[in-house]
Amino acid sequence: MKTLLEFRSVNKTYQNGNHALRGVSFKVKEGEFVSIIGPSGSGKSTVLRSINRLQGISSGSITFDGEEISKLRGRALRALRRRIGMIFQNYNLVLPLSVIQNALHGRLGSMGPIKGILGLYSEDDKRKALAILDELGIGDFALTRASDLSGGQKQRVGIARALMQDPKLLLCDEPIASLDPQSARTIMDLLRDQAASRGIACIVNLHQLDIARAYSDRIIGLRRGVVVFDGAPTDLDDDVLRRIYGDGFSQDNVQGGQADAHADLACA
Amino acid sequence: MKELLMRPQYLMNRSGQKIAIRAKDRGHTLMLFFAGVIILSILSFCCLGVNWGRLASRSPQILEVFWKLGHISLDQADLVFVSLFETISIAVLSLLYSLLLGIVFGMFAARNVFGIPALSVFVQSFFSFLRAVPTPIWVLLMLVCIGIGPEAGVAGLCVHTTAFFTKSFAQSFEEIPDETLEAIEATGAGKVIVFMNAVLPAAFSQIVAWCGMRLEVNFSECAILGMVGAGGIGFVIANSIQGYDFGTAGLAILLVFLTAFLIERMFIAVKRIFK
Repeated sequence: MKTLLEFRSVNKTYQNGNHALRGVSFKVKEGEFVSIIGPSGSGKSTVLRSINRLQGISSGSITFDGEEISKLRGRALRALRRRIGMIFQNYNLVLPLSVIQNALHGRLGSMGPIKGILGLYSEDDKRKALAILDELGIGDFALTRASDLSGGQKQRVGIARALMQDPKLLLCDEPIASLDPQSARTIMDLLRDQAASRGIACIVNLHQLDIARAYSDRIIGLRRGVVVFDGAPTDLDDDVLRRIYGDGFSQDNVQGGQADAHADLACA
Repeated sequence: MKELLMRPQYLMNRSGQKIAIRAKDRGHTLMLFFAGVIILSILSFCCLGVNWGRLASRSPQILEVFWKLGHISLDQADLVFVSLFETISIAVLSLLYSLLLGIVFGMFAARNVFGIPALSVFVQSFFSFLRAVPTPIWVLLMLVCIGIGPEAGVAGLCVHTTAFFTKSFAQSFEEIPDETLEAIEATGAGKVIVFMNAVLPAAFSQIVAWCGMRLEVNFSECAILGMVGAGGIGFVIANSIQGYDFGTAGLAILLVFLTAFLIERMFIAVKRIFK
């Protein structure tokens, strides 16, 4: 498979001096499902947000689809973002709008300025949105206000919005952190199935180890902005987990584990 | 016993006395505030030189005027109604124009839409200046520019209303979480598109509420504006009182009251629908 995304010794230092990423390098192939795990503050979100440039990086290079993207601006940046969908922990929907309107927001980047400003979506786009909502099991709610949905349903709308972009890559920033275990499984199933059937690569930030193991083709472990693990889920043993989450961590003794890992294991 | 020992020192010292319950620094500020209020009242009283005696001796006359206003006369009803509609039209027109202008300028004034702090500060301060000058003064200025008539009323009201809307809309826009804007921007949409499709719909119910509030204000301002020559029912009231035609003035005042009341009730209903 072709390489879709490549990080080469990427560094990011925030203005407050916080060194979020230190020499991060990894590759993601087309259609690959990759999880990033690591304690809070290890730089997981920074990695995702530097891909679609919600944040810039300090040094290093990021290539997407063969193109250097870390310096893009304006029109070229918007063209890049169009090809990358993003899903958020808090769904980030426009709550007073209907489900289908929120899904159609995924088309805004690809419309002309006038049609975009007035929100004049084509009938084709609307049909496509309805089809995607149906596939995600929320077709019946198309005209419901997003504010009236449950958390799991809201996240499905988030996925629909991202799929409407026809992306090559999906960035999922803690997509199930606000959901109950049952809905979390449903969302992960939907993400994996949709990504697989559409050939979309996924990078998912996760706190839940068992979920990362069950769904990923590959797992990247981050600790204090450094990649300390990059390999198959089966290679993720206690030794590796201690490198990621610190010495106190052990799968048998979650009580002694790092606070985040401990909380999430308990709820998952 | 152990718990007693852990109490803060300042409580311990006062054992046997009353226990303080106000936040520590609060008492001071309150005293300063009250002292300021008292000094200002005394100063204003001296400056104005209000003749309380005369006010007391004339109070029967106040009753008399209200008695006369109460005898509503319908002789000039057609004139009163026409000017009432003129006033409502001025209020509505100025509201509509300002609504559109306020959304545009509010977009520039809101810090989260374009993410350029200098732009927001500039727009905000410009409209703060416009807002600081009261509406009747703007209308007087417009009367000089445009001439006597309802156009001056609309233009003058628009200046102040737009300034008001710019500030309040910007506030409503800024309440929308940055993450929501970010999510739409991440799809590759430009700033204006994000504003129109995410910010504006999310702030819509608040905009309706601001409009309702402002229509009330504009209507009552309009009644005053008539007196400086900008047409409408204020002109009728001022004229008939000067001509001792209290019956007509009474009818006009009653209608102003009823209209203001209706506008308020109407918007309470509208707000309930949008909630």
